[in-house]
Amino acid sequence: MARGENIDVSRRDVVKMAGASGLVGLSGVAGSASAQENPPIGNFPIQGNPTFGFTVPQSGPYSSEGQDELRAYRLAVEHLNNGGGWVDNWSDLTGNGVLGNQVEFVSGDTATDADTARQTARRMIQRDRAIMLSGGSSSAVAIAIQELCQREKVQYMCCLTHSNDTTGKSCVRYSFREMFNAYMSAQALVPPVTQEYGNDNNFYQLYADYTWGQTVQSSMSRFFGEAGWSELNSVATPLGTKDFSSYLSQVPRDRTDVLFLNHYGLDGANSLSQARDMGLDQDMEIIVPLYNRPMAQAAGGAIEGVFGTVAWDSQIDNPPSNQFTSAFNEKYSRVPSGPAQLAYAQTLQYAAAVERAGTFYPPEVIRQLEGYNYNNIGMGEETMRACDHQAQRAVPVVKGLPEGEQQQGQFFEIVNVTPRSKLGYACDEGPAGECELGPYE
Amino acid sequence: MSVLAEVVTVALNGLQQGAIYVLVAIGLSIILGTLKFVNFAHGALYLIGTYAGLLITLEINVTDGKLADWGYTPIGLEWGFLPALVIVPSVVFAVGLLMERFVARPFYDRPDTDQILLTFGLAIVVQEVFKILFGGQSYNFARPGWASGQVDLPIVGTFPEWRLYIIGITAAVVVLVYGLIEYTDFGLVVRAGTRDAEMVELLGIKLSRPYLMVFGVGAALAGVAGVVGGPLYAVNPNIGTEILVPSFLVVVIGGVGSITGAVLGGILIGETLAILVAVAPQWSQVGIYVLAAIVLLARPQGLLGVEEVTP
Amino acid sequence: MSDEPTETADAAEDTGTVVERAERQLPSWERVRESELFVVAATTVAVALFPWLFARAPVVSGVLQGYQDLATLILIWGIFAMGFNLLLGYTGLLSFGHAAFWGGAAYAAGVFSANVSSSPILVILAGTAFAALSAWVLGFVSLRRGGIYFAILTLAFGQMAYYMALSPLAGITGGENGFTGVELGKLFGVFELRYPVPGLDWLVGTWKYVLVGGIAVLCVAAANRILHSPYGMVFRAIRENEQRAEFVGLNVWRYKLMAFVISGTFAGIAGSLFTIYSAYVPLSSFYWTTSGEVVIMAVLGGVGSLFGPIVGAGVYLYVENIVSGVQQLTLPFTGPAEYLTLVEEPVVILDGFGAYWHLILGLVFVAVVVLFPRGIWGLFEDVGSALRRLGGGR
Repeated sequence: MARGENIDVSRRDVVKMAGASGLVGLSGVAGSASAQENPPIGNFPIQGNPTFGFTVPQSGPYSSEGQDELRAYRLAVEHLNNGGGWVDNWSDLTGNGVLGNQVEFVSGDTATDADTARQTARRMIQRDRAIMLSGGSSSAVAIAIQELCQREKVQYMCCLTHSNDTTGKSCVRYSFREMFNAYMSAQALVPPVTQEYGNDNNFYQLYADYTWGQTVQSSMSRFFGEAGWSELNSVATPLGTKDFSSYLSQVPRDRTDVLFLNHYGLDGANSLSQARDMGLDQDMEIIVPLYNRPMAQAAGGAIEGVFGTVAWDSQIDNPPSNQFTSAFNEKYSRVPSGPAQLAYAQTLQYAAAVERAGTFYPPEVIRQLEGYNYNNIGMGEETMRACDHQAQRAVPVVKGLPEGEQQQGQFFEIVNVTPRSKLGYACDEGPAGECELGPYE
Repeated sequence: MSVLAEVVTVALNGLQQGAIYVLVAIGLSIILGTLKFVNFAHGALYLIGTYAGLLITLEINVTDGKLADWGYTPIGLEWGFLPALVIVPSVVFAVGLLMERFVARPFYDRPDTDQILLTFGLAIVVQEVFKILFGGQSYNFARPGWASGQVDLPIVGTFPEWRLYIIGITAAVVVLVYGLIEYTDFGLVVRAGTRDAEMVELLGIKLSRPYLMVFGVGAALAGVAGVVGGPLYAVNPNIGTEILVPSFLVVVIGGVGSITGAVLGGILIGETLAILVAVAPQWSQVGIYVLAAIVLLARPQGLLGVEEVTP
Repeated sequence: MSDEPTETADAAEDTGTVVERAERQLPSWERVRESELFVVAATTVAVALFPWLFARAPVVSGVLQGYQDLATLILIWGIFAMGFNLLLGYTGLLSFGHAAFWGGAAYAAGVFSANVSSSPILVILAGTAFAALSAWVLGFVSLRRGGIYFAILTLAFGQMAYYMALSPLAGITGGENGFTGVELGKLFGVFELRYPVPGLDWLVGTWKYVLVGGIAVLCVAAANRILHSPYGMVFRAIRENEQRAEFVGLNVWRYKLMAFVISGTFAGIAGSLFTIYSAYVPLSSFYWTTSGEVVIMAVLGGVGSLFGPIVGAGVYLYVENIVSGVQQLTLPFTGPAEYLTLVEEPVVILDGFGAYWHLILGLVFVAVVVLFPRGIWGLFEDVGSALRRLGGGR
């Protein structure tokens, strides 16, 4: 490979001198030495140093989350190039770049909007010739980008996307997800929630009327139904609803024991605060399926005592988690958020797979990731499943802290980390049953 | 829940949701009716009001914006809600005066298309400035402690206290503004100006001062809406543009320049939303646009509008 | 910013001097410039050169940091903005609901491609037909009102379409996730759209660009002809004084409807091309911000001119896609990443520059509305005529 790189570097200079890039560059590469080993595909072979593209929300309501992701991506690139953090412990990684190349990166805005995200991804693929993209703060964005990545044969490492569809009916060969999904959230919530609230409850659901909300709703119905609870009703709230009071006032106070608010982010903050306003928390328990930091910030004291799941939390106490927290804190003087840990982990996972494959050739890298077993990101024993590219992992369950105990970067207490053995589903059932990954090439 | 209770609850919810639109729409409507000025930046005034209210009432942690970079975090006065209810409208009133003088006045003689374009651009600028200062994140505008509980109403049962206050404050403000326009000399000039500005000027009454006042009052109302409506939803830089579109619908449904029209339009939209949520939630968002289109087509001047302002 | 339309101006300038040297025999420069043949020829040249200049030319593309797909996208939005401007610039009607036609065509094209035929030409025809039809219906209803009422009515219809696509029609549109099932066949059954054009790939890139570029030229030709036909005269007359136009016996309402349908049809062409370009239809294509964007583009570039809105589209998308990705604003020619490096250490003017792109656009937009009502294209024309005056011409 080392020979191949030298050739690439010199070719890059030639290309640059000619002022040409894109298509000309690609056709020029066709006869190169590295191309003889593996045919050109997507942005392979790379010209010069590998470029990673990070697509995060930099404007819009989730921009604070996006900034935290970007911090983690920068940290990951720094560690890959110079060592530090997990890189020192992962045997696949050297701390001297990837395959001896210093990693470069570009970043761009998704605005939590599928259209903007795809345009940004296109720019990274075409102009910056990124070999891998990562990022995202919503499922619609992740699904839009990964569909493009499959077409363009560029790898995508999802960041925060919780919908079943990402590794279900919209799954693609070129994308991998470390984050768990709605299905697994529901499974994870059952043990601690039934332990606290009992096995015989009536529950009522409000859910956002789009794929994410629908998958959460059906998952909750199924798993809490199986746990012996009975569902009173599920009501869909259209996206774009800000005022949920009309929906909330229809919840039967006398019969409902537990209320699920299956809304994400700001919608979740609004519905939760409004439920508090109406005093529903005095008559019943409330559960939100997925917390994130912007939501906790916007909901303030309303999250007190409310069960939910998070991608990861800095209070999780094991060596990889602590190592990441301290490295992040050292660099930015901040407590990292869950998506930051995902961003960091997925970048390193990709780099390690490249090292194992010995090439950036995407089909090889994909095969290295498929079915890979690992225990190095602080979520216990994990498998990146080959059939749907969904990580099989533990899921942290948390409860919101009272307003007085909330601090910058700390909004939850960890109740339980539901282990992998209690979660998941086979390759032919649940979301995975609908997944067809598509071709390698 | 009995049918009666359900009907009353839906009605009350609709009233409360409409209240904020009413406050924003009255300002929009009298500015459009009197000054013939289309203000797409009216939502920005609501935005300013909400953030001002947030900062006066509470102390917030800015984590992303430039303010945080400059070290202004936490920021806020923590004076509580009642001072905000007085100070914010005054602040936004002043902003309104500046806006009339430097933005609207040079554009009074331009076609309304130009006015829309100018204020549309201005709205973007204000929104982006807030985003840069406070970050894109959302803040929790906590309700004041004395109004964050619930009250037991007859028939309905438990109802959030804050939402009752919103209905009350809105009603009081509406009565105040109605009195101002209907029963004072200032109001007389304004009403006359609405009918025929040229004639009023010919009679030797200078309209620039009342015009300035109209703009200020309209802006102050958006400020009130920002303070009382802010605590209902998460506060972020997009709330200004989000409230603008429904508010414009309220104005055209009710009739341009008519205060009672704006009240009626706001309640209609609020109730439509609330009823559709109870009956066919999928159609609730579509519903208000259908309502607006039907009203505009069946009664072009709006329900309580006198006649068309401009062809 | 020297993207495509600047090039048109330059090209026009060159031709201009040639013509003036032989002034006596040939028709005047103004006449030539107005002629349809010239407009089409100049547009064709500009469209052909644009992707090369933008993405591959030495020095220029290094400075511009452009790329092929953005060139395609600029042309698509250029068609949209040009069509929008036929309404705003020539009849004075400001629609805030053109997203309905852009998005409607995009979804119609996408659904058509998945269920009926994946032939790009048929897909475009299907999307455009859908948009034209909806423009006729919405125009019929909305045009009963003028000014602010018209703007609000169109906005209401646009938002209606958005919320319909979001929830009640999610089964067809894919709701929040957008429509992902777009199928695209070969152009004329021969050319794979994503493949480079043999022999000409250095110039125009892919067949996709050839398709979009070809349609863009056709659209310019069509718009040019409409504006120089009696219809165009009437449109302008309506803008100047609607009552007068009515008094001379013109059915103003009918002409307005015509302008609205034409404008919606252009939006439909652009929307269908967008589906072909991105092989995906985002839900936000129906959202009112899409209508807002096309308003900004048209006004930035200059309403009341044929090419202005295309320039506006170029500037807007350039700022949105390239400037927004700039992490640091540095002095030119400093830092290692520059095309030509004079100083190795970058001189940083503003950190996190890209995040300000929206603010920058907003400020520029306000400045244009207040100071240059004829937009960027108007500036070009003023500079151009000043130069000609300096050069001794008329």
